[in-house]
Amino acid sequence: MLRAALLLLWLPLAGAGATDKPTQEPVSLGEPPPGLALFRWQWHEVEAPYLVALWILVASLAKIVFHLSRKVTSLVPESCLLILLGLVLGGIVLAVAKKAEYQLEPGTFFLFLLPPIVLDSGYFMPSRLFFDNLGAILTYAVVGTLWNAFTTGVALWGLQQAGFVGPRVQAGLLDFLLFGSLISAVDPVAVLAVFEEVHVNETLFIIVFGESLLNDAVTVVLYKVCNSFVEMGSANVQATDYLKGVASLFVVSLGGAAVGLVFAFLLALTTRFTKRVRIIEPLLVFLLAYAAYLTAEMASLSAILAVTMCGLGCKKYVEANISHKSRTAVKYTMKTLASCAETVIFMLLGISAVDSSKWAWDSGLVLGTLFFILFFRALGVVLQTWVLNQFRLVPLDKIDQVVMSYGGLRGAVAFALVILLDRTKVPAKDYFVATTIVVVFFTVIVQGLTIKPLVKWLRVKRSDHHKPTLNQELHEHTFDHILAAVEDVVGHHGYHYWRDRWEQFDKKYLSQLLMRRSAYRIRDQIWDVYYRLNIRDAISFVDQGGHVLSSTGLSLPSMPSRNSVAETSVTNLLRESGSGACLDLQVIDTVRSGRDREDAVMHHLLCGGLYKPRRRYKASCGRHFISEDAQERQDKEVFQQNMKRRLESFKSTKHNICFTKSKPRPRKTGHKKKDGVANPEATNGKPPRDLGFQDTGAVILTVESEEEEESDSSETEKEDDEGIIFVARATSEVLQEGKVSGSLEVCPSPRIIPPSPTCAEKELPWKSGQGDLAVYVSSETTKIVPVDMQTGWNQSISSLESLASPPCTQPPTLTRLPPHPLGMEETQLPLDMSSDPRSSFAFPPSLAKAGRSRSESSADLPQQQELQPLMGHKDHTHLSPGTANSHWCIQFNRGGRL
Amino acid sequence: MGVSHSSKEAWERESRSDFWWTQIQEGFRSQSDFNWDQIKQLHQRFRLLSGDQPTIRPENFDYVLDLEFNPIRSRIVRAFFDNRNLGKGTSGLAEEIGFEDFLTIISYFKPLRSHFSKEEAELYRREKLRFLFHMYDEDGDGVITLQEYRRVVEDLLSANPQVERAWVRSIANSIACRALKEAARVSGHPRQEDQPYQAITFEDFVKTWQGIDLEVKMRVNFLNQEAAAL
Repeated sequence: MLRAALLLLWLPLAGAGATDKPTQEPVSLGEPPPGLALFRWQWHEVEAPYLVALWILVASLAKIVFHLSRKVTSLVPESCLLILLGLVLGGIVLAVAKKAEYQLEPGTFFLFLLPPIVLDSGYFMPSRLFFDNLGAILTYAVVGTLWNAFTTGVALWGLQQAGFVGPRVQAGLLDFLLFGSLISAVDPVAVLAVFEEVHVNETLFIIVFGESLLNDAVTVVLYKVCNSFVEMGSANVQATDYLKGVASLFVVSLGGAAVGLVFAFLLALTTRFTKRVRIIEPLLVFLLAYAAYLTAEMASLSAILAVTMCGLGCKKYVEANISHKSRTAVKYTMKTLASCAETVIFMLLGISAVDSSKWAWDSGLVLGTLFFILFFRALGVVLQTWVLNQFRLVPLDKIDQVVMSYGGLRGAVAFALVILLDRTKVPAKDYFVATTIVVVFFTVIVQGLTIKPLVKWLRVKRSDHHKPTLNQELHEHTFDHILAAVEDVVGHHGYHYWRDRWEQFDKKYLSQLLMRRSAYRIRDQIWDVYYRLNIRDAISFVDQGGHVLSSTGLSLPSMPSRNSVAETSVTNLLRESGSGACLDLQVIDTVRSGRDREDAVMHHLLCGGLYKPRRRYKASCGRHFISEDAQERQDKEVFQQNMKRRLESFKSTKHNICFTKSKPRPRKTGHKKKDGVANPEATNGKPPRDLGFQDTGAVILTVESEEEEESDSSETEKEDDEGIIFVARATSEVLQEGKVSGSLEVCPSPRIIPPSPTCAEKELPWKSGQGDLAVYVSSETTKIVPVDMQTGWNQSISSLESLASPPCTQPPTLTRLPPHPLGMEETQLPLDMSSDPRSSFAFPPSLAKAGRSRSESSADLPQQQELQPLMGHKDHTHLSPGTANSHWCIQFNRGGRL
Repeated sequence: MGVSHSSKEAWERESRSDFWWTQIQEGFRSQSDFNWDQIKQLHQRFRLLSGDQPTIRPENFDYVLDLEFNPIRSRIVRAFFDNRNLGKGTSGLAEEIGFEDFLTIISYFKPLRSHFSKEEAELYRREKLRFLFHMYDEDGDGVITLQEYRRVVEDLLSANPQVERAWVRSIANSIACRALKEAARVSGHPRQEDQPYQAITFEDFVKTWQGIDLEVKMRVNFLNQEAAAL
């Protein structure tokens, strides 16, 4: 794609290079060959790409300048400004070089400039909206374009017959039909450029825009058919040729769509297997889409249709398969390329218009064409809408029709097509070129300028930019099912019925085939919306400084709860939050040397010296249910932090010596010794240490018990709290561990937790740097662990997706208990805590075993495979050390203390 | 899903009888918006579902095979028998419904008439929303509690056969929680310090629908004008 971008302007600029060469060559050739030149000027070697880059730079700078003034851009569409700029630049070039140099070459346009725009629009097309309105779009695209082409062509021919067109224009009916076919197509580039700024309502937009995309097939067919008829000469055209023309319409359109879908399938399938080479994911998207375009072009099918269908078809699966970062990369690259291409197209259009040698003016033809395309477009829209409204659920009203007729902009496609005409076969080519330029300029500049005021004046329903809310998403899903069901009940196989069927088919077969197993298991639109909303809240939360309870405070608490869910559904996390960074060691974020040191240092500082922001956040958010003692607890906690720090410094000095015993033991002994030492150290020495952890447990317990008294809905908050106070979750996990490990042998999640610290420690410097861990984990472990954990990890990563679900599904049940089980848990929690807090924290036998197994190298890989959740955790820490670390640090401390 | 031959004959016989006429009269009385063809077609369907009985029982919906995979199937079937939807009371389920009730339920999916005034349209919109609300509010206490909402989410999530139940259960709750909070925010529910938002009332429910063009959504094409052409 990059190469394509570089080549973008190669063709049009080749001419410029030729003129520049003579002046430059003496410089480069004048150097004496033998001597070692210190400085060489080799312009001719770089000139072509240099000029391309320069042009794009000029266009981009122009864009920046335009947008410096809000007033200008709000009144004038960017496309107008670019065209005008092109005119000016063309004029300058013309004045300097004495002849017009740059042109919008059809080859460049169709091969390099158009594909990114179409791909962008196809990929980001709101597919639901598109298919909901598919009937209308197809009607306008097919019938409308045919109608426009024929009526315009015939009317122009009539005009000529009537003598209004100058006799110099030598054209017959077929020539006019050819011209009509190329001038009648609404241009996707122009429509997109103008309508994106107008913000009409979604339905209107999708109809106009969808039409402009889909009518390409019709345009291509009409153009080719007419062109070949013209070349054959009207006398030689036989009836079968007309039939062939009609048949080719189907071949070209359906063939193009089929090519697009095949490539979409391939693309989706390919991205399914890229989990180890995340870095090429964005590239694949572009390459295969471009391949679709070129293939369709090669087979002279509708290339625009192919790319549109490719983008439309693959998006769902590709988005599910590729990593979060790749998704962002795809999005931005696509937008950049499209906007780049669009800018260049409009600028070149302006420049091309300056070259007056290629065009010849005929007022009758120009005015006639302008009138006819506007008139027949309006007429066609009204007629078609009338028919469509008989069937549409939401009829298009008069205002919509006005906007639709007026929004039929012509653009670069028409221009490129008219340039492609063969002058020997179409003698009136120059007149057609002039007319096309005028029409394009008129529609883009005049209509583009006036459509905004028109829309305002007519009070067209604007698109309301409400963010999708979770409720609405839920309601819409319910609705889909209800409507499908009602259609089932009344026995009418309508749109909803087929959509429902398709979704079932997709879920049963297609998604399984095209999505990673880890992806489709948890792929759900409701979940997606939920996830996105949470991320948005999290971002806004961070933006606000992380401590202000915003107006959206109600939604804030659920952010961490999302985290906890995400953690549990590991696969999702792996996929979503930049797993590539941590898991694929070769990928982008591998460099974690100096910066990570800093992070580690910072982390220690924060961890030791600061009151945990998490906690404060939670306290403030949870205020409406634990209002009173929040402040109090906060103070207490600060105190505990301080005590803990002191103790830790003490411990580290004192205990470094004693803890070089055999592996499995240290923890136990460490704990005892520590306590032993701690007690004398401070009068309430033990409380701070254990409290640091114990108290958090207690905190949660109070919360939970409080909420237990409240009705069901308060479970909301409790769940959230669990998420927020990671400590809390940790405790409950441990508790369950104790329970579960006894009953459920297979249960993966509990065991994961203890070994995990070491895993993370190996990966993350600051983990190993942590005071108490350094103490308790002997040097032996740190030596052994990395190697064998590494393999374990890699295997677990790979196994993750190949493994059957259990690993990813079990965690949720365990860590995030659904309300019913929780009820039981809650009652037991306090008991456990109060009776013997420490025992609940002690490693259950299985855990100890897991810990030991680490030293026994790869003894139990299966268990390590189930370290998945861990990785999820670690992911988090890595991504946002500042916030998520606290969670870890607590777990570590726990591990250390035990 | 055509009408079987025998039942068609039966219907033709019946259609000349008084029974048919009373049905139509009633149908017109309650739902004047249905035209002849629609009523005829719906009646055919009704008879097919009921097995030529005058009433439909919930079991009859088992014959609708396409309904089998619908994740909220039970809710939909129940909606047909919900007294609140039938206008027969404030709670409870009807044991069986006649053709008139059938029409009543189906009429919730009628398209909005263009000649409706703004007030009428709003009234109509609320009626449609009420139908959905009743589908959520299972126990008929006038509010959607977290539990009820959670079950809805669970149902929706289970539409995907690949999704594990455990996962669904675990996230359904948090999604429902969030949705509930969102509803509280959208509806401008005053935030009380000590009491979290409990449940969605109908008024709040209506407010969560702002921005959605309900008229576009809640209608079945079949009930549109062109039904005559089918």
